Amino acid sequence: MEDTDDSLRDEGARKFQKDLNGGLVSLVLLAVLEQSPEDLYGYEIAKRLQKAHAGEPLFKEGTVYPVLRALSASGLLTSRIVPSYSGPPRRYYRITDEGRRALRDWSRIWRQTRDFVDHFVSGVSS
Amino acid sequence: MSRSAARSIAEYLRQLREVLAGEDPALIQDALYDAEEYLRAEIAAHPGKSEADVLEVIASTYGAPDEVAAAYRDTEAKVKAALQPPQPRVSSPPNAMRTFFGVFVDARAYLSLFYMLLALLTGILYFVFVVLGLSLSAGLAFLIIGVPFFLAFIAISRAISLGEGRLLEAVSGERMPRRPPHPGPPAGWWPRIGAMLSDARTWTTLAYLVVMLPLGVAYFCIAVTGISLGVSCTIAPIVDALQRLGLVRADVSVYGASMPYWLTSPIGGVLLFIFGIVVLTTLMHVARGIGRMHARLAKALLAKPA
Repeated sequence: MEDTDDSLRDEGARKFQKDLNGGLVSLVLLAVLEQSPEDLYGYEIAKRLQKAHAGEPLFKEGTVYPVLRALSASGLLTSRIVPSYSGPPRRYYRITDEGRRALRDWSRIWRQTRDFVDHFVSGVSS
Repeated sequence: MSRSAARSIAEYLRQLREVLAGEDPALIQDALYDAEEYLRAEIAAHPGKSEADVLEVIASTYGAPDEVAAAYRDTEAKVKAALQPPQPRVSSPPNAMRTFFGVFVDARAYLSLFYMLLALLTGILYFVFVVLGLSLSAGLAFLIIGVPFFLAFIAISRAISLGEGRLLEAVSGERMPRRPPHPGPPAGWWPRIGAMLSDARTWTTLAYLVVMLPLGVAYFCIAVTGISLGVSCTIAPIVDALQRLGLVRADVSVYGASMPYWLTSPIGGVLLFIFGIVVLTTLMHVARGIGRMHARLAKALLAKPA
């Protein structure tokens, strides 16, 4: 009985994490590409995200690709295909001016949201 | 999660294709391309490990096929909603007049009309490209540069088909591939040429580029005829009326000498004006229909079937 309770709690925690990730992955991807001096391809970006966070990954690397494509389709990123000798051709991404503007706006919204949530949640013991 | 973990790239891609079955072929093509790019890069990054070893942990890093498929479905639904031009709001129940003239506030109808005008130019360019490329490929086949020439020709035709797909997605809203199909593992010249020659999509792409010439001519003629007939029939009675009122110089008649006399009368002018509006509106409907139909044709010939 305790086992099923635990797995139910895990399931709930995973779902909460997934809902949270919705827009945040886009924000983080824009930030990574903004701070990078050179263009990055999908695999490189996924690995950078995983390296930055020790422990259980917050999201699967496979979920990064469709978001990159969606950002590209809405004009926040541009991309080009570069042939690679060690493997398949890679799609390199770069942030656009529109992407930078969106990043500024979204970061402001993120900070406001974080402060607001922290105001209530900071007292809760983990 | 009942299926067993994949032991090879091919098996993982097969599982991913399975869980995506029934989705848009273009979405499946994109998802498979991304997965293959990641998996090959991951294997290249671990030279000491076998393919099976790398694949064993893939569900916890890249994600299991179900999770990846879910991510594409979710993102696709959001992007589709975001890219859709806002639908004109109809507050009261639709009536025949509103349905007929509503086409004027549909962005897709204008885009389709623009595409029809552009199709003559692109049709000619595609046709010349294919005829030139095929005949030069055949002619150069016996020389050493024949092989790379043919490869370059096919590669460019695929790039064109991708661009054409993006254009048509904007025109019709029909989902088209955003990536070329993955070329697969690096291989020598001959296997690659063999794969290109045996890929039905290579030939359907070339067929599409050839068919674009007659279609482009037809589209262009329909668009130009419709626009000139509609605009002249709408404008002429207005100018005529202004001349009768003395607001515009009246030394030249807007009507030609061959015009039936009854049409140049005020009542004839009103009839002509209504006729012009009907022609223009019908043209917009025809353009929207052609845009949709053409996008379906392009999808059948350019997107790789799942």
